[in-house]
Amino acid sequence: MDRERIQAALRASRADYTEIRLETWRTTKIIFHGRHLETVDMTFNEGGIVRALVRSGGWGLATFNNLETLERRVDQAYQSARWVQGEPINLAPVDFCEDEIRVALGTDFRQVPLAQKKELIEGYNEILLTQGSIVDTQATYADQFITVTYANSEGAFIIEERPLVTVHLVATARQGDNVQRAADGLSVPAGFEQVLGLEEMARRVAQRAVDLLSAETVVGGVYPVICDPKLAGVFVHEAFGHLSEADFVYANPQAQEMMVLGRRFGRDILTIVDDGTLLGLRGSHRYDDEGVPTRRTELVREGILVGRLHSRETAARMKEPVTGNARATDYRYPPIVRMTNTFIEAGETTFEEMLADIPLGVYACDSIGGQTMLENFSFSAGYGYMIRHGRLAEMVKDVVLSGNLFATLQNIDAIGNDLTMSKLGMCGKGQGGGLAVSTGAPHIRIQGVAMGGR
Amino acid sequence: MDLLEALRGQAEQAEVYTIEGEATVVSFEANTMKAAKVDETRGIALRALVNGRLGFTAASGAVAEEDLVANLLASARYGEEVKLAFPGPAAGPEVATYDPSLAEVPLARLVEIGQEIVATLRATDPNAHVNVDLEREISTTSLRNSAGAEVRARRSILSLGVSVERVRGDDVLIAYETLSDISLTEAYRQAVERLAEKVRLASRVTTLRSGRMPVLFAPSGALVLLLPLMLALNGQHVQRGTSPLATRRGEHVLADTLTLWDDPTLPGRPASGSHDGEGVPCARKPLIEGGICRGFLFDLRTAALAGAQSTGNGARGLFAPPTPAPSNLVLQPGETPLARMLAGIQRGLLVEEVLGLGQGNPLSGAFSNPVGLGYLIERGEIVGRVKDVSISGNIYQDLRQVAALSQESYWVRGQLKLPYILLGELNVVCRER
Repeated sequence: MDRERIQAALRASRADYTEIRLETWRTTKIIFHGRHLETVDMTFNEGGIVRALVRSGGWGLATFNNLETLERRVDQAYQSARWVQGEPINLAPVDFCEDEIRVALGTDFRQVPLAQKKELIEGYNEILLTQGSIVDTQATYADQFITVTYANSEGAFIIEERPLVTVHLVATARQGDNVQRAADGLSVPAGFEQVLGLEEMARRVAQRAVDLLSAETVVGGVYPVICDPKLAGVFVHEAFGHLSEADFVYANPQAQEMMVLGRRFGRDILTIVDDGTLLGLRGSHRYDDEGVPTRRTELVREGILVGRLHSRETAARMKEPVTGNARATDYRYPPIVRMTNTFIEAGETTFEEMLADIPLGVYACDSIGGQTMLENFSFSAGYGYMIRHGRLAEMVKDVVLSGNLFATLQNIDAIGNDLTMSKLGMCGKGQGGGLAVSTGAPHIRIQGVAMGGR
Repeated sequence: MDLLEALRGQAEQAEVYTIEGEATVVSFEANTMKAAKVDETRGIALRALVNGRLGFTAASGAVAEEDLVANLLASARYGEEVKLAFPGPAAGPEVATYDPSLAEVPLARLVEIGQEIVATLRATDPNAHVNVDLEREISTTSLRNSAGAEVRARRSILSLGVSVERVRGDDVLIAYETLSDISLTEAYRQAVERLAEKVRLASRVTTLRSGRMPVLFAPSGALVLLLPLMLALNGQHVQRGTSPLATRRGEHVLADTLTLWDDPTLPGRPASGSHDGEGVPCARKPLIEGGICRGFLFDLRTAALAGAQSTGNGARGLFAPPTPAPSNLVLQPGETPLARMLAGIQRGLLVEEVLGLGQGNPLSGAFSNPVGLGYLIERGEIVGRVKDVSISGNIYQDLRQVAALSQESYWVRGQLKLPYILLGELNVVCRER
């Protein structure tokens, strides 16, 4: 839609503040399930959202697919806002700019023929299928080209292209009643060339599913645990990151007390960061969905809580700096405080040193799900190994870690020197679908982790 | 251009599905009203069989019909080979899914209800932070195919989500309730009262020792037991051979007190309907009857692949092809009043919510989950909330030994109606604090 029309609609708004975000999503998705090519879809999704603020009351929102009705939606959002009888809302001041971010992809996946995409994922699927005992697979290729036009009544006008190319591989092995799965993948804002050459990943996934068939369930108990970078990354996002989102604390004095800046959360070795500016990661953007530039925000520095993540509204409310963390899953949703790329900074310990003084423990790898209820968390590792006398021993399955967040962070007693950022990651926070994020960590060691199991 | 006509020459079979809707949402955050939102939705999805291959595409917003057709044909060129036949015209059961009065409810009334809910819960606990999302949605879907089926469905849906957060030092309580209905009734008051009761019961925190003990699952907690079953009964897993029940139709797989229905004929339920998303008539049917596995849920595609018939369970959104899903899942209640079930427990655990649903390997029936909200039962009384507790087991063993099912049953997530389920003995692990 042309810029004139968007800006005219903003000028015509009677609200104290108005913003318009229009999005187009072009998606191609190819999925093999076992030997079946189950899905070859190309979809086109276009829509917009208007967010209008009446300072004395609150937010009015209108979302829509028919962009021709933009002016009517601006008025509808304003009319809705008038119904909201909340507390006065202020937005932290930001110097807005006009910007246009066009991406230059290595091999633009929009130009790659469908046949070639199909061949690629069929090849990976074939590798999964030809390992012994694999009874089912799911091999997904997807690409997505999103164009976001963002404008607000304070002068921002930003067009940003957000590409994403994904390969995701799942293998299911079965022996009688024993069914085991393994998965891995790659999803990055980049060109088609990034998802070539993943044959080795496919072999590893299939092999792991097969290996899990003969793994025993971990014996329940309390162990020292080494988490691999993938699991540690998901842990820091789920268990700690969400508490650092200011929308959790801003209106809740007890939560503010719990998350008071200066409180010690871990030992001196622990530093946790959210950084939306890192290149080539899923959570990276130049601007958030309020038009605020992203940045690096330290959440924990040497064990002490030093920062949190903000939208303009929460920053104003808590009198803290904006951080560019207002993000929306898509045009159906307003921006809320979300993480971008969240990670534990590298420490100095090698993996071997971490292992060395563990008589009996668990090496927990990969994450196949995690949930937290603030202080309580549960994480399922994809697989694991027992640690016996300082050495990795037999593989174990059904590795589910649970615990209390505060105790667990304090119990992190070693941080590896091998920070790795994940190339997968979805965050579901009240907005359906899931938002692309990245998580990362080095290997970390946690003492006294409760482990379900037999 | 009529798309179905346009496709007639280019495909053996074709289907056009459209959706149009408007939803109004009011939300309260931390006890105060935060936003009012209106969502306008419209979109179109096409499927076709070309040379025996199935293609799919979907679009919202302004898209040229030629582009849509081109995408569909490209998709079909590489699509799955599957011998499915779109259904012709066929009558389905008559079920009420639309209440015109819901469309008439003014925004002001939704705001009022939200305020009332916040006030009720704040009266229960002045430290409670209450969040409310109240949504009213009116939608129309239409499905037409080359076999002559024409199904229009109009729905009204009221959905309510309420959560309470209470932070005391490092002690955090989060409890919630949801409700969905095709009409606005007083039912929200009962849901809010149930939530208030959960908050009251959680005001005292107590401890529990690890071991095997009786565990009483509230309907919301019982999801952890139902989820593996829902996966195993789903035609996708049956057809792929990954369901442990795939080859066990007619066999005794669970306790003989357990009977589970898929019932799209319940009036007034948002998941009810006369036809599924593929135009196949819906029908009420047992999935588990007296512990015996009676059948599975199929859509057209999984049925074709499994050599079965669609059970009228093809569910669809806009941007993905249909997949099998239950309509309303109803677990037949038992004969014991809840009060008597409680009274019979010397020492045990009441599970209201578990964390990490679906994690691990749910298809296998195994579960190992922390209890998000649970209570200690002592000498027949609920005496307080217990924290840092996990439960584990496998439904294919544990649901063979069901001690009792309550007379009372409640809707969970708008789609499952479940009684309280008492398991005589389950593994409970507690972490020392």
